[in-house]
Order: sequence, then C-alpha cells, then structure tokens
Amino acid sequence: MEKRKRNDRKLKDGILQGLIYLSAILTVTVLAVIIGFILYKGLPGINFDFLTRQWDDRTTFVNVERKAALTEKNDAAYVASLGITLALDNENIVISHIDKDSPVKAALNMKNQAYVLKKKDIITKAGDVKIEKMTAEEAAAVLNEGMGVVRIKIIRPGGGIVPMLVSTIYIILLSLIIAAPVGISSAIFLNEYAKRGRILRLIRFAIQNLAGIPSIIYGLFGMLVFVQIFKMQYSVLAGSLTLSIMLLPTIISTTEEALREIPPAYREASFGLGSTKLQTIRRIILPGALPGILVAIILSIGRIVGESAALIWTAGTVAQIPGALVGSEAGAATLTTKMYWLIKESADLSTASSIAVVLLVLIIVLNIASKLITRVFLTKKGMN
Amino acid sequence: MNNNAYKENLISRRKEYPEKVFKGIFLLSALVSVLSVIAIIIFVFSKGLQPFFGEDAYSFLEFITGLKWDPGNDVYGVFYMIVGSLLATLGAIVLGVPIGLLTAVFIAELAPKELVAFIKPAIELLAGIPSVIYGAFGLGVIVPIINEISPTGQGESLLAVICVLTIMVLPTIISLSEASIRAVPKSYREASLGLGASKTQTIFKTVIPAARSGILTATVLGIGRAIGETMAVMMIAGNNIGGLPTSIWSKVRPLTTNIAMEMGYASGRHQDMLFATGVILFLFIMVINITLTKLTGKLGDKGRSK
Repeated sequence: MEKRKRNDRKLKDGILQGLIYLSAILTVTVLAVIIGFILYKGLPGINFDFLTRQWDDRTTFVNVERKAALTEKNDAAYVASLGITLALDNENIVISHIDKDSPVKAALNMKNQAYVLKKKDIITKAGDVKIEKMTAEEAAAVLNEGMGVVRIKIIRPGGGIVPMLVSTIYIILLSLIIAAPVGISSAIFLNEYAKRGRILRLIRFAIQNLAGIPSIIYGLFGMLVFVQIFKMQYSVLAGSLTLSIMLLPTIISTTEEALREIPPAYREASFGLGSTKLQTIRRIILPGALPGILVAIILSIGRIVGESAALIWTAGTVAQIPGALVGSEAGAATLTTKMYWLIKESADLSTASSIAVVLLVLIIVLNIASKLITRVFLTKKGMN
Repeated sequence: MNNNAYKENLISRRKEYPEKVFKGIFLLSALVSVLSVIAIIIFVFSKGLQPFFGEDAYSFLEFITGLKWDPGNDVYGVFYMIVGSLLATLGAIVLGVPIGLLTAVFIAELAPKELVAFIKPAIELLAGIPSVIYGAFGLGVIVPIINEISPTGQGESLLAVICVLTIMVLPTIISLSEASIRAVPKSYREASLGLGASKTQTIFKTVIPAARSGILTATVLGIGRAIGETMAVMMIAGNNIGGLPTSIWSKVRPLTTNIAMEMGYASGRHQDMLFATGVILFLFIMVINITLTKLTGKLGDKGRSK
C-alpha cells in the first residue's frame, strides 16, 4: 500500500516536472525559431548598400565641366574627359570607378548645388543622347564626345534604409524631448510632493489607464486630433506627440521607482542642512535617480523603435528624411512602420526581414545598455 | 533690528518663489496624464458615438449585433469581431498562462543560476520584439504550417492568431509570475518540505497558491495585451468581412484589425464607425483596467507616507 502510494507520487511528480521542463524548453525554442527565421530570411539582404543608401531611386540632372587635359588609359570603357570608368550592370550603364581628380566630383545639379557623383550611379542620358541598351564601351564613346559642360542624367539607386533610420532617430528625439520632462516632473510630484488623497488617486488611475490603452487607440486619437484637427498631416510631430502620450506611463513609473529607492535619510539630511525642497530635489534626489531615469529613457526608445500601430496613421509610411516638423514634407516612416508596409503592401517578406534584423540588433543593444546601467548603479550602491 | 527682520523675510520670500513655481510645474506635469486620458476618451467617444445619434442615425443594436462589415453598402456590424477578439484572447490565455507559469516556476525554483542567466535575457528579448516582427514570423512560419494541416486549406485563421498571441503574452506572464513566485517567503517552502512533501508538491500545493494574486495580475495584463494587439494579428487573421468563426480554422477579424485595416482611407460615416469600433475596444480595456486596479488595490497608498 505504502509503496504504491509513493510510486504514485513519484509518477505525478515526474509528470509535473516534465511539464515544467517542457514549458521552459518551448519558450526558449519559440524565441530561437523567431530569431532564426528572421536571420534566415533577412541576413542575405543585409549589406553595405542596404545600410547606407536612400530608399527610393533618385533621378537627377547634373552639369559636369569636362577636363581639357586628358589622361589616357588603355580601357575602352574609360571616359577620359570625365575621369570615370563605366561598366554594364543589369543592362544599366553604371560608374564603376572614379579618378581622384575627376570633374564629376564637382558636378552641379540644376539648382547649382553640389551633387557629387558616386560609384554605382547609373547614367541614362548624356547631353541629348539616351544611353540605353549600349555596351560600356559605346557609352564611353558617347560621353567622350564634345567639350565643355555636359548635362548628364543620373539615377542613384535606392534600396537602403537610411531615411527610415533618420526618421526613427528624429521621432525618438522629438518624443523624448516632449515626454521626458513631463514624465520626470510627474514622477517627482508623485513621489516628493503628493499627499495621499483624491488627486493622487486620480493621477495614478489616469497613468494606469494610459498604460492599458492599446496603441491602435493612440493611433486613432493621434490621427483625429493631431493629423486632422490640428492639420499637421502625416508628420514627425504628429507621430511624436502621439507617442509621447503613450510613453508617459513607462517614464513615470520607472522614474518613480528610482526616486523611491533613494533613502529618506538623504532628504532629511539635506533639509537639516537648511536646503529647501527644490534644492534637495536638484542636488540630492535627481542625481541619485539618474540611472533610473536613464533606464526609463532607454525603455522608451525601445518602445518607439518597436511601435507601429500608433505611428502609421500619424507619421505616415513615406520613406523620406523629413524636411519639416509638420506638413506635406514631414511624413516619416520608421523602420518598423516601413517593415509593416513592405509586408502589407508589397508582400516583400525578405526585405521586411532584413529591416527586422536591424530592429533586433537595436533592441538587443538597448536591452544590454539598460542592464549595464542598472548593474553599474547597483555596484555603486553596494560601495556606499 | 526691524530692518534686519524685513531683509530676512525678503530673502526667504525670494527663496520661496521658485519653490512654489516648480511645485506648480510638477503638479501640472502630473496632470498631463489625467488630461490625456480625458482627451482620448472625449475624442474617441464623441466621434465614435456620432453615427448613432441625430438624423440618419445608424441603429446601435444593428451595429453591436451585426454579423457583416460592408462599408460600401453602409452595413456596419461588429458582433462577429467582438467574438473573434474574445476567442483569440481566450485561446492565447488558455495556452499562454500554463506555459508561462510553468516557465516562471522553472526559472524561479528549478533552474541552475547559469541557466537563469541565459533564459532571463531571452525572455526580456521576447518582450522587446516589435509586434510587426511577430506578424512577419506568423506570416512566414505559422500560416504556412496551418495551410498544410487545415481542412479548409487556409492558413490565415483563428488558430494562427491564437498561436502568435500566445507567444506575445508569454513574456508578460512569465516575468510577473516569476516575480510573485520569488516573493513567496522561504519559510513556506521549508514548512512544506518539512511536512514531508516533495519539491514538486511544494511548488504546486504551496508556492503557486501563495503567489496566486501576482499570477492573476499577470493573466489580466496578458488579456489586455492580447485584446489590444493589432499589427501582428492583422497580418495573419484573414480579416473576413462577415460571419461568426465556426472553428479554429475560420478566418477572424478582431476589433483592432478592423480599425487598422481601413483607417488609412476611411472618411465620413465609415471613419466614424472605425472610432465606434474603437469605443467597443476601449470598453473592454476599461473593464480590464478596473479589474487590474481592484487586483493590485491600494492605489492611493503608494504615495509618500506622511
């Protein structure tokens, strides 16, 4: 009897323990599969061009002053008067090499601004001659003809994520400039000034509610209020304002936690030495809470980087470096919104995965940064 | 003497002035959150309730019980979306809570330190992955698998949504459950072990019951995350224009994706109806938030103790 009971118990324990191990393995496996999938799909698309180029192909006309003194090269695809070598790439004539003293480095666009030609730029027209379906040698011959200034039509190939990177950084900075001071001040009020009572309850209830609202509702609100009523159009500012409301709960609660960690004795000592409350906050409390505030900011950056639903209809999905805060030139797709757009509008899962790889790297870096800050803070505290 | 007192008074007043100004600034900042919540509620509700009032009003009953969403023909029914949202959330919780809880038990009670140092960052990473990436994963991995095994031959389905949402609620459930399991006093475990219970019995009969309030909070937060999730779900739900889901293989159209799908081009009543969908979603979130407040309780007591 006794023995059977014990065996039963062993069996039960074994099953339950097996389930525990299974769950843990499942969780880790899921993460591994997700990351593996993203890397498998996305890594092949990541290269130097992907990280450094504009998103769209850009067509420009440039004027180039041809050289008089010619350096000769024993290469039929070399354009002596321009100091460039041409090559055929996917039926396009591209610049494959640029001499050090090449005049294309002083090329001017139609607004007389400098527009330096680069390797891999595609030449489609020289003067009035269209350069299409030619070999590199034929194209070089066309370009070599004539003297003086020549007008060249250039297509600079896109396919890179630079605009999204820049837009993401703009939105991060702008959102934090708005949200960080408000959030930190709120935390100071809640932890240093507020007395128990109705106002405190109301504020806490509001913060908890803000934290619970799904981002699509923020998107609706931002679109209605900032984009439509304030007529900002799809713009960085509309997106950042929407996000800064969304970030408040994160910033407030993380900062508050940091403030709470500071021992009351510090405050009392400061008051005892005759300083006022504001002086105490400025000289004692804020410096002490700085690591916590930094972590709050890093957490916020992580949320901004990953946000899509609240940004698509407030900042738009145009891949450009925003030229203004509001208005038609201010639309800005972040990495994440562009990734969504790629999957949804062009079913391009591979490019989307390449962006996802960049996002993963960013998230991992942010996670490590917040860990490091916390660790440094903890060891410092241990030494005190 | 008198003069001196006057001077001192002046100095202290000059000192007091910035004190008051800054206290005001801090208070105003804290009120920004309150104002934001009020503004969001007012704007979303006023626009979302607009179509149900005035001339040419749309019947609210038809809206809330309707099984078809066809803006082209002025038909707006969200009942099947509500059902879709609730089923997806239910599925994610039913799968996610046990898996998450057991993983938390593993981390807090069984795993050796070196393993914890590996798993915890992994779970933090899982929490930080943007939902669009989950969507891409769902579209690239889960949907094709379901495509193979589904009797309907359709990968985009309730099941796909449940799978992705389960993964997405895991980090929330794991980290909160772990914290509450770790908060259970050691003496509980010792007492249980001392009475002759095995380690596994101790975990399931003593530690987990003692940590139940934290686990419950984790579950409610998980529900909030699942019901509010948009982008990941949108890519894999199928987003049918009508009809209740009949099985896990059916397409669904949760409330969130209904808003996100059409927000870009909707105008007039169509746009108002998207806000109305937002109102329904908001009501669910309110219920979750209030539950959460009740669970964590003591809202006002977190202030400075005086």
